[in-house]
Amino acid sequence: MKSESMTVVEFDIRGQICPSSLLITLREINVRQKNIRSGAQQIVILTDNRDATITVPDALSNMGYVVSVEKKHNYYVIEVKV
Amino acid sequence: MSSAILIVAGICLLVGLAAGFLMHRSDYCMAGMFRDLFLFRSTLMLRTLLLLIITSMVLFEGAHLCGLLPFYPYPLLGSVSGANIIGGFLFGIGMVLAGGCVVGTLYKMGAGSVLSMVAFIGLLVGSGFYAEIHPFWSILAKKTAILKGVITLPQLFSVEPGWIIWPTVLISIFFFLKWLKQGLWLRKAYAEGYLQPWRVAVGLSVVNVVSYIGVGMPMGITTTYAKIAGYFENLLWPEHLASLSYFRAVPLNARLSWLDLQLVGGAAPKIDAVAYIQGPVIIGIVLGSAISAIMLRELQFHWRLPLRQYLSVFIGGIVMALASRMAPACNVWHLMGGLPILALQSIVFLVGLFGGAWVGGCLLTAFVMKA
Repeated sequence: MKSESMTVVEFDIRGQICPSSLLITLREINVRQKNIRSGAQQIVILTDNRDATITVPDALSNMGYVVSVEKKHNYYVIEVKV
Repeated sequence: MSSAILIVAGICLLVGLAAGFLMHRSDYCMAGMFRDLFLFRSTLMLRTLLLLIITSMVLFEGAHLCGLLPFYPYPLLGSVSGANIIGGFLFGIGMVLAGGCVVGTLYKMGAGSVLSMVAFIGLLVGSGFYAEIHPFWSILAKKTAILKGVITLPQLFSVEPGWIIWPTVLISIFFFLKWLKQGLWLRKAYAEGYLQPWRVAVGLSVVNVVSYIGVGMPMGITTTYAKIAGYFENLLWPEHLASLSYFRAVPLNARLSWLDLQLVGGAAPKIDAVAYIQGPVIIGIVLGSAISAIMLRELQFHWRLPLRQYLSVFIGGIVMALASRMAPACNVWHLMGGLPILALQSIVFLVGLFGGAWVGGCLLTAFVMKA
């Protein structure tokens, strides 16, 4: 559930070269980890890369984050939170 | 066009369609397998490539023992030389920068990737450019050639292929079962219609043995990239094209006895055996992937992308094409065709490929994905 003060930071990586989705997510997680851990921010990735729907959740769940993947229209939405 | 040619082209189209469909479902990207080993220490996809090679080894050798293979080893393989390792190294760099190998570029194009379309143009440019350096490169390849006339590892040791192949298969099965017990074959997938990569690996090896039995060789595509480049060059500078020795060479000349068909061809921009074997595979991979993407409602085009990525895939395509002509031949030819019959060229190419993928990964993170 999103708290009132939570901001959602969205990255649209559709069409980009592999492994943009994973590298950008890891970079942003690293930069914003305090805010994400405190629940102030949530990262959302939009991707059309089928492999990223496996690699991103796999890497981030190993780091203790909660990751959900949902197909929306013709792409996938990956949400990263604590 | 004779019915024998139509049969060959038909087999190749089906091979391409099946390969494109399977690769899209699993996003079976060979460039990614090698790149992610170095970037993320990820090995699952490389394990499935090993499964593909070993399954192909069993199928090829089984077909060989049953007398089903028209040629053994298949045409266009030669003696090992320095060209194989340098070609493999450059190919590794190129495929990582291009975001996919020569086949990966095709199946990603089929799903609508604009960057892969740019990489494809780079592949054509690089193939055309290779023709300019071919005289120099072929001299270097000849001067660095060793073990002349020896094509495979079993030939090197003067033994029947089975003496090396079956022990290799048995050792591999031991590791495959161990990984199965450890649950290391399965990926937790969320993508719709996802096929586990081990299934795709087995599927591709079946597709490849069909190609080997049917048309005398496993999948290969890059000489046709040179043909397409030659076609455009012929429109612009016909006299220059006629002066290039690369386009006059006819490396393929073998008889496909079951169809009573002489396979003759090369990179020249005309319809010959190379065109009707490789052309339908290329079209099939793009179409097979597009069919899969349309079925999943995932066909889409995005072109507002970072300039760095456009430059990366274009340069990567050029380097990859140059390398595949220098090697000679691409990763699919060497990894899915050459390694299963233990071709020395392919073993050396693989060594170079690992080094190139590492360098490509470093370049990608330092320049292309720069924050």
